[in-house]
Amino acid sequence: MLFRRIYQFMIVYAVFLGILLVVKKGLSLSDYVIPGLPLILETAVHMSTGFFTDVMDTLSVAILGQGISIFLAFFVGILGRKSSWAGSMIRVTAYNIQAYPIVALAPIIFILLGDGFLSRLLIAAMICYFPLLLSVLGVMAAPVEDIEHFYIATGRMRWQLEVKIRAFENLSKLTTVIAGSATLAMAGTIVAEFIAANAGIGYSIRIALYQSNLAAILTALFMIGIVISVYQGILETLGEMLKAKWGSENKGGLL
Amino acid sequence: MRLECSGLNFAYPESETMVIQDLRFAMDGPGFHAVFGPSGVGKTSFAKLLANYRSRPELPIQTSGIGTILYTYNLERLPAWSSTGRHLDRVCPADRQDLKKALIDIFQLGPVVGARFSQLSMGQQNRMNLIRYLLQDFDLLILDESLANVDEKLRQTILLAVKELFSHKMFLYISHNLMEVARFCKDILVLTQPSRKKPSKIVSGQDDTSIPVLEKPSLDRVMLEVMNAF
Repeated sequence: MLFRRIYQFMIVYAVFLGILLVVKKGLSLSDYVIPGLPLILETAVHMSTGFFTDVMDTLSVAILGQGISIFLAFFVGILGRKSSWAGSMIRVTAYNIQAYPIVALAPIIFILLGDGFLSRLLIAAMICYFPLLLSVLGVMAAPVEDIEHFYIATGRMRWQLEVKIRAFENLSKLTTVIAGSATLAMAGTIVAEFIAANAGIGYSIRIALYQSNLAAILTALFMIGIVISVYQGILETLGEMLKAKWGSENKGGLL
Repeated sequence: MRLECSGLNFAYPESETMVIQDLRFAMDGPGFHAVFGPSGVGKTSFAKLLANYRSRPELPIQTSGIGTILYTYNLERLPAWSSTGRHLDRVCPADRQDLKKALIDIFQLGPVVGARFSQLSMGQQNRMNLIRYLLQDFDLLILDESLANVDEKLRQTILLAVKELFSHKMFLYISHNLMEVARFCKDILVLTQPSRKKPSKIVSGQDDTSIPVLEKPSLDRVMLEVMNAF
């Protein structure tokens, strides 16, 4: 899973770079517009260590933001699972808010909180929170009747048990959504850094953009791609391990 | 113990087709009773109505001497997070540990109590599910195809053991196996399609308590009576 993610990214990156170089050659563009392969390699050698540190900085904010959004999504999802008016209100509100492009709120956050760690964290968490919340709400609001029937009929059903049953029955869906939200968290953090942060890979790309340094931008993109591939690969592998250990899939389905 | 139904009608919301029409019958005493009929005749609908009739006072169902009614069906599952044995431990009252062990033995599930539910065959899953219901407090247990996918010999063993161990309880056994219903059940409620305008009726079964003695003419008579009822 992990290595597949990395080599898939390498292939996509190589194709993208190849297209850029073909365009450069086809339109006879100068190194100032699209740098040649030697210049890209030279830039990568010089800047990769610094960019790697920046990506790790961004990733750490993204992971923290993702963690907060997972916690909040489960908290609100569990509260909103009931068919009471409160549950319905939470679900309708979540559906409506998620339809709004959250990233457009970023300037307000920077005005209120300034361009530091907290703004990046908040934007990362907000961007991956709503898709996560919708999935968690969907899972938690759907009864697993063939399992829950016994506990309801015998008076054993408690909210903790209900949540546990629904989470375990949808382990595959939840782990996929959580692994997928890693990209959203990373994108949110980078967008925040583009706008007004003072650290992270988004901030470094912004500086490279002001210098029209495409080689540096390509190096940064490569670093982002590799790191996010590794992170997502780790999340997916953990998800697979969880499913193998706790999942409810019938083993006969393998046949 | 008495279960009585005096003119039950039922149609699903926004449907004009009656599933159950003017159902009238009475069943007395503990033991194995049955609900029999072709597919789609309303057996499961009736079972679900009966299981929840106390929350719907408008239903013309009366019971006496019956407190807790439980309903179990053959597609139920146990959660996936631990072994079936551990699930049984958690839902088994402390004073019924010996009964649990006896049931596991009779239902021939000893070798698989350490396995997760998804690792069991369909027959094993149904047996495991039935055990946990038998360990609960109940006066009437409705078994809706609860022994489906279990081989005939073991099914007979289980039915006879349950009849013996729970002789003071009432069971309503829903099955498509005519011979089994005719042999092992006391009263057989034969449901008919409301469109056929033929009233549902009670047929007396053989209520056998052991396997070896098989009175074929008598069994044939019961089976013919059931078949002629719908």
